[in-house]
Amino acid sequence: MKREEPKRSVSNRRFGFYLAFPSILILLLLLVIPAVLTVFQSFYVVPADGVGIGEFTKISNYSYIFSNIIFWQTCLRSIEFAVIFIIGSTVIGLSAALLLNEKFVGRLVLRGLLVLPWACPWLIVGIIWKWFLDGNIGLLNGILMRLHLISQNIDFLSNPKLALWMTALAAIWRQSCLVALLLLAGLQTLPREVWDAASVDGAGILQRFRHITLPWLRPALTVVTVLNIIYGLMQFDVIFAMTQGGPGSATTLLSFLIYRQFFIFTNFGVGSALAVALAAVALLGGLIAVKTLYRKIEV
Amino acid sequence: MESSENGSGLNSNLDRRTLLKGVGVAGLAAVPMLSSGMMSPAEAAGQSLNFTAWEYQPDTIKSLVATWSKKTGNKVTTSFIPNVGYTAGIQARQRGGKPADMFYNFAYNSQKFVNQKWAADLRGLPGADAMVADMFPSSRARFVAQNGAIVSVPYFAAVHMLQYNKKMVAAAGFSSTPNSLQETYDQCKKIKDNGVASPYVAYWVKDFVEEYLHVYLLAGNVKPFDDKGNPIFMDDPKTLDVLNWWQAMYKDGMTPKSVLTDDPGKHTTAIANGDAAFYALHHYFLRDIVESKGSASADISQAKIVGTGGKTLQMGEVVQMGAKLTGAKKAAAWDFMKNYGYKDSAGQFTTFQKWASSGALCAPYPGFFTDPKVIAAFPKYMDLTLIGDTFKTASDVVPARTLPWYQGFQAQCGTIIHDLLLGNSNARATANALAIACKTAKSGSGL
Repeated sequence: MKREEPKRSVSNRRFGFYLAFPSILILLLLLVIPAVLTVFQSFYVVPADGVGIGEFTKISNYSYIFSNIIFWQTCLRSIEFAVIFIIGSTVIGLSAALLLNEKFVGRLVLRGLLVLPWACPWLIVGIIWKWFLDGNIGLLNGILMRLHLISQNIDFLSNPKLALWMTALAAIWRQSCLVALLLLAGLQTLPREVWDAASVDGAGILQRFRHITLPWLRPALTVVTVLNIIYGLMQFDVIFAMTQGGPGSATTLLSFLIYRQFFIFTNFGVGSALAVALAAVALLGGLIAVKTLYRKIEV
Repeated sequence: MESSENGSGLNSNLDRRTLLKGVGVAGLAAVPMLSSGMMSPAEAAGQSLNFTAWEYQPDTIKSLVATWSKKTGNKVTTSFIPNVGYTAGIQARQRGGKPADMFYNFAYNSQKFVNQKWAADLRGLPGADAMVADMFPSSRARFVAQNGAIVSVPYFAAVHMLQYNKKMVAAAGFSSTPNSLQETYDQCKKIKDNGVASPYVAYWVKDFVEEYLHVYLLAGNVKPFDDKGNPIFMDDPKTLDVLNWWQAMYKDGMTPKSVLTDDPGKHTTAIANGDAAFYALHHYFLRDIVESKGSASADISQAKIVGTGGKTLQMGEVVQMGAKLTGAKKAAAWDFMKNYGYKDSAGQFTTFQKWASSGALCAPYPGFFTDPKVIAAFPKYMDLTLIGDTFKTASDVVPARTLPWYQGFQAQCGTIIHDLLLGNSNARATANALAIACKTAKSGSGL
């Protein structure tokens, strides 16, 4: 009997592997190999025709980008965008999740509507928001005018001081819906009795939120934060549709520099080095988020 | 200029001047016999080709392709890539080992594609020289590289024109459209004083503003690049006048502040509804303005951007042939391209007649403008003679715009010009920054 157990275990593991094999293969082909190739290419001068690998240049691609002021300016702008995006989508998503976890008429309809922005591709979101924020005929200007909050239209996208915030807002609109869905799922697993017991013990709504809801949601919040870091730093489509990185360089992020190196300068080596740098920033952000949030769970 | 900029990989003893001199003779002497081991179109029948285009009027494209297929017995699989991201899409296919046999391309990418061996040099193909010889002299440089390589055939051609509201111009006391950049400002100022908040609109978004750089430099009688493609605009004092004018147009509110991110559809609506008096963009936008049937659509007419003296930018995109084709397949692809970008086997501008009717697009051939079928097909509210005259005498393709490094410059223009318009830079600094952008693009560097 003792011998049969490990046999079954090996057999189960093999069966599990067979089931997972297609996914592993797809991940390998679409994620791992391109990622490894990108790291590899970042040390080479890659011919633009994509044939062969070219000359090994050690770290010259990295030296080139790190010594360029445009890289650092764009890097800071990307981080600024990501921070606005992460905080905005997490706070709005969490608020929406808390609201939709309460009982009220129309709750189911609202929950259904939450999926709609998420169903829109990023590019479409950009186009929608471009019209919404238009400086002449945009709906937002119309609303603000009707409410007498402004006396003349605001050029949300042509103003370099506002453009980054506005593009972040458009991205937040979509992402906060996903955040809300994920956190709502987490909230629904929270036993009602725990809340009720805390109420009986005299805990106010803020205390219950801080000491019960937030700790309960931490695993979901960790996932959400990591996703937001990735989406925030990798953002391209929304901004491309809304401002093309302008006005000036007000909304030019690292993803734009990568696009430009690959498809305009056809400089694969530098493009790959930029991609690796961006991935490193995202990885670092993700690790900090996981470390911070998981540590709190352990406490 | 470095050899790579002259099209390394396209070794030839011919220079462009020699070729252009020779094409006329070659055109006359062209014989139906096919050279270089090429097969005749009939022999090349039964081929399977693939054609990649961007999504402008896909049904028209499909119909043009189907007509040619039916006539020649070749099968063409047409695939579309969205306009946004077309450059990335076509390059990804090339690198991924699935290159198209024939494909649309942006003119500024065309020489680069030949250099990178993604597109074929069309020299020596039957009728290629005759096609070039048939073009407006001002148009040839878009299709013929400095070393004589024929890099593409036309997909369409256009000139920048000034769409204007006749009533607004007259009400402001002007008897004609502006004859200089300064007059453009003055007319805008007067029309603005008459109550039109933003009289002038143009497609000044980051990725497109480079076209306007040339439109305005040419209007200001500035030659942007020398014959070898080296930038010379920064040494011309008139460049500073042009840039100062441009900055003033934005700063003084002659355009809406949102013009830096507005797209052509919005401008069309603005001028069609009487919210703008001038709209500078390709000639065919008049069609959209008129057909949108806005309250002022009937008042809109078209004029040269600068009426006297200066030139405007002639632009257009191209069709290229994949570099890997040989034998019968190459012959079939070339027949397709001639049909699509020149004339059909009966010597008719069949494809361009269709584009003239469906999109008011033009072809860079003088014969196009006198072709009775084109005249019949072209929208009646557009002055085809004026447009043809602009092609012939008042426009320039700026040959440097097709050089292999040029896209790198184009990509940097948006930021530099926007900084000027937003007041973050002055004319001198902008001219210098543009010159540096040329230098970095040529060296293949720059972020």
